[in-house]
Amino acid sequence: MDMRELSRMGDKIRRDVVEMIYRSGDGHPAPSLSAADVIACLYFGVMNVDPQNPLWEDRDRFVLSKGHACPALYAALGLKGFYSRDVYPTLRCLNSILQGHPDMKKTPGVDLTSGSLGNGLAGATGMAIAAKRLNKSYKTYVMTGDGELGEGLNWEAAQTAAKYKLDNLTLIVDNNTMQSGGGIEEVGGITNIPGKFAAFGWKVLEVDGHNVPEIMAALTCERDGRPVCIVAHTVKGKGISYMEHNNAWHKGTPNDEQYEIAVRELEARIHE
Amino acid sequence: MSEIKSTRIAFVEALTELMEKDERVYMVSADSVAVFRAQGLMKKYPDRIIEAGIAEGSAVMIAAGLASAGLKPFVCAYAGFLTMRACEQMRTFVGYPGLDVKFFGANAGMCSGEREGVTHQFFEDLGIMRAIPGYTVLAPADADDTGNMVRRAYETKGPVYCRIGSGRDPVVGTDEILRAYGEDVLILGCGAPLYDACLAADSLKDKDMGATVVNCNVIKPLNCEKLIPMIEKAKKVIVVEDHNIYGGLGSAICEIAARPVIRLGLKDIYPESGTANELKHKYEIDAPAIIAAAMR
Repeated sequence: MDMRELSRMGDKIRRDVVEMIYRSGDGHPAPSLSAADVIACLYFGVMNVDPQNPLWEDRDRFVLSKGHACPALYAALGLKGFYSRDVYPTLRCLNSILQGHPDMKKTPGVDLTSGSLGNGLAGATGMAIAAKRLNKSYKTYVMTGDGELGEGLNWEAAQTAAKYKLDNLTLIVDNNTMQSGGGIEEVGGITNIPGKFAAFGWKVLEVDGHNVPEIMAALTCERDGRPVCIVAHTVKGKGISYMEHNNAWHKGTPNDEQYEIAVRELEARIHE
Repeated sequence: MSEIKSTRIAFVEALTELMEKDERVYMVSADSVAVFRAQGLMKKYPDRIIEAGIAEGSAVMIAAGLASAGLKPFVCAYAGFLTMRACEQMRTFVGYPGLDVKFFGANAGMCSGEREGVTHQFFEDLGIMRAIPGYTVLAPADADDTGNMVRRAYETKGPVYCRIGSGRDPVVGTDEILRAYGEDVLILGCGAPLYDACLAADSLKDKDMGATVVNCNVIKPLNCEKLIPMIEKAKKVIVVEDHNIYGGLGSAICEIAARPVIRLGLKDIYPESGTANELKHKYEIDAPAIIAAAMR
């Protein structure tokens, strides 16, 4: 898929996110939208997965540690063909395969249960260690939020991943600068994310998290024995005018009018 | 004086056998190699012991990642640092998806922590783990029973938590029925207090009181089919455990017994530093306390 198509896929994911949350009436739109371009690059640019065989043991893995952004993951999996997009309206509903946060046993294509913040990086570290020990070539990708780096368990895992020289592990920090309660500096005191991972022994890259060529270059960068941390500078609510930089959309459901505006804006970009 | 045999060494011996026969078996350590006396195992299988450092939460998550890729990790750490510090990881990331991870918690119980004091005395683990869906919860009587429980954990599909002791653990025996002197009093127990339960039963026999002592090494699921008829037949039922009286074996038995049960354990208080013998005497889970409960 070329860069233009990948960029379009980011907006298709956004359109599906809006569709899912509007139809089901619940979910976290803005943190899903900031993650959409990176997730598009992962599933349609770099990851080796088989929608017909979700548990294929040699597949690349993705852990969405910021599990509340799962509408973006569910959209990517739906667009990839892991299941019918007809299930979207059942998001967060009884008997749905689309749980409120990712569930590896219920949703085809979800590689690790996640959603309680701060845990995904360590889980992905275990997956990457397993690949090394089993002599498998699969790669493990994990996305955290920036606010969730307040959880100490991330730094336990950062240390272990560097110790085991996990050059098959890639962390993408969705650095949209906002957490549920406000700005990450103000609420969590979270600063200098690249410097922190560098100090833990990681190779660190910074990209515009909505610039597909930059994201792809980082995801395919040369490995030097260290795990890679890509700090993706993103906009919370990216792609929908009234949601961008507006933390009120951390969680919420568009009304009919807002839904129409969102779809119109996203469709225009998809068909540009 | 009781004969002593280490539950920790027994654990490592049994794990070594499993690692020899199944290359999927891994150990995940939170700086637990020395604590579990696994230095020899580390030499033998350096690539199959994953060392997370002093970081229990991360150790559990790493084990979840290993299990998701088809491995069978055994996570080793102190009982409380697992079941309290890493409780959420054990629940949400191993229990909820039903991953095949086995947890062995050392220093379980007040007496295992001994002189370390309350920070290293873990008497809530069974209650915590019993409350989490999907876990099998084990509490072996002694070192040989620990070997059996390691094999049982391996054969059990899905998550298992097993508490073990200090490494200075009395030899109790691995039989389910440790004493069968009669139905005057039924003494149900788990772990090291079963040693005292047996002493108490022997002493009660001399007082013409027939006691039966049962090794309840599987806390969840309880063997109700076997236990309920015994509980119904006995004149008196006592549960003894090195655990808070809330949440552990005593609570589990009360959930299935429609009759009064005397629970000997920590009476919802924090203990203190001391030798195992001093502690079990002061906090009334030793043989004299069991005899007194039987005679009451």
